[in-house]
Amino acid sequence: MRLIARFAKDRGSHFELITVYDKKTDSETIDKSNPIAKSIAKRFPTAIWFERKIYDDFGLKMEDSFDKRPLLHHERFPHDIHPMCKNFTQKRLELEEFVPYKYERIDGDGTFEVAVGPIHAGIIEPGHFQFSQAGEDMLHLEVRHFYTYRGIEKSLEGLSLEEAKPIVERISGNESVAYQIALFDIHMQALHKEVPLSVQKYNALLLELERVIHHLTDLGFIPNDAGFAPALAICSKLSEDARRWMKKLTNSRFGFGSITFDETTIEMDSFLLYLDELQKEIDWFEDWIIDVPSLWDRFDTTGRLSIRKTIKYGTVGVVARASGRVLDRRLNHFYIDHGFVMAGANSGDVSARFLVRIDEIKNSILMMKNFIDNKKEEIKSDKLYDGEYNSYVESSLGEVFMHIELKDKKIERFFVRDPSFINWQALHVMMDGDIIADFPLINKSCDLSYAGSDL
Amino acid sequence: MISFWQKRFKSSILTEDLEIDKELETIKKELKNKISKKFAGSLAIRMVDSGSCNACEAECNALANPYYNLERLGIYFVASPRHADVMLLSGVMTLNMLPHAKDAYEQMSSPKWVISLGDCTSSKCPIKNSFAIAGGIDELFPITHHIQGCPPEPKDIIMGILEFLRKI
Repeated sequence: MRLIARFAKDRGSHFELITVYDKKTDSETIDKSNPIAKSIAKRFPTAIWFERKIYDDFGLKMEDSFDKRPLLHHERFPHDIHPMCKNFTQKRLELEEFVPYKYERIDGDGTFEVAVGPIHAGIIEPGHFQFSQAGEDMLHLEVRHFYTYRGIEKSLEGLSLEEAKPIVERISGNESVAYQIALFDIHMQALHKEVPLSVQKYNALLLELERVIHHLTDLGFIPNDAGFAPALAICSKLSEDARRWMKKLTNSRFGFGSITFDETTIEMDSFLLYLDELQKEIDWFEDWIIDVPSLWDRFDTTGRLSIRKTIKYGTVGVVARASGRVLDRRLNHFYIDHGFVMAGANSGDVSARFLVRIDEIKNSILMMKNFIDNKKEEIKSDKLYDGEYNSYVESSLGEVFMHIELKDKKIERFFVRDPSFINWQALHVMMDGDIIADFPLINKSCDLSYAGSDL
Repeated sequence: MISFWQKRFKSSILTEDLEIDKELETIKKELKNKISKKFAGSLAIRMVDSGSCNACEAECNALANPYYNLERLGIYFVASPRHADVMLLSGVMTLNMLPHAKDAYEQMSSPKWVISLGDCTSSKCPIKNSFAIAGGIDELFPITHHIQGCPPEPKDIIMGILEFLRKI
């Protein structure tokens, strides 16, 4: 069984603790006067962040948990508040006195620590990495994030689905289209309607274009982190071209506001020409980069994640597929009919993740050609039904899980689990046997989002 | 590698001077002049994300691609606030980032300026009334200039920097 998410809801008189696996969903009722539940972190290691988040959000304790440190609430964040409870209504908080956070560390003769972040050297999002080192060798890494914790879940409560859309599409700029499709999917479920084929195809087209943009960016940055800049020059050009096409199709370089109920027409011919051009470029790129031995010397066997660990940690997306796991939300009739072939590799190292990205770009180009249609039909909005709805979308980073509960046509509870929330927790096991200089390479090869997991 | 050089010569220079429009050509000239006059040839920027969705960062990264190639104008993104003239702040200011962003600002040597990037740093921010947001960036930092857009495109960022240089 794979753990997908664990989250809680405030039901007034009690808490409801929901655990979503791939094959079933468990629900427990927890009394508010004694808010204690059982941890599942021993069997599912990635439950730790979910459970620490549940404590910060609701004050619901896991009695047998081995890690009870706060997750979202940092050193100077107001202590002893649980903002996701319905009776919490404060809109403005002030910083409080500094309470130190106890980092995981390995003590011993000659070991030392390296603290990196939250503000990094490059142009990237904030996050903290604490390394325990013995010389160059990494003994342990603790990933500590949630610096961009914006309280998205709470701020969406009480909004209608239309009002929530601008916020949902800006949860993570890397996966905006995927998040919009998840929301759209839930909206359609709440209308009790099927998604028409032309709309499915249009949405899938944009999702694949978003995937191509981000994979191309990664194909540039991964070699760049190994000190090979020409690949970045080539791929940043290709990803800029793809982004300009995103703008032509959706009026936004990131696809903001692109998944709608409106009728849309696409100018097919020039887009098809572009796809042919891109196909040629990526074939050339693959042929060229395979022949750079010093690069593959850095990639091979670096940052290995075994299939056993992949299954144990329940990783998703490219990180899972490059380690030999068959896991992709696009494994369904609709996608297979349009040419989907799941990419995969077995070695689970940086090179595997790099090659899987190349394969996925090629497959996405093929699928986009099949998805392209000159018109997307309009969907009439109808009666909205209250209820609890789930949606899964395979973004370029992996599986996005979204849960929305509607009450009186407003959002009662919004929960989303970004693929990075899972994959970040598996990052430290990839460091085994590598040196600290390999860390940026390994981190980039997984392409993880900070804003998406921080919420 | 030979195929790389063959391709490299065939594709020649991609940097746009600029496909976008004539106006930008003059802007770039002006930009270069201003930077060499006011900052002795190089303007060093430290980018700090205090709660953005990563779109603003992606656009700043795009400034380094062959089409825009920002560094040839003397504008550099630097690794430390101690090397920077300007702090480029993007995203809402979260409570968790506030102490660190303040730290970064204090590490910069004077004279120093702050530019806010993107709609999240203004009243147009879609996330309103969240307990996890420390407050408006303009209340917390001395903002010299604001670059609007969600996210501002690379072209808008270049123009925004020029407007900033005209201001100071």
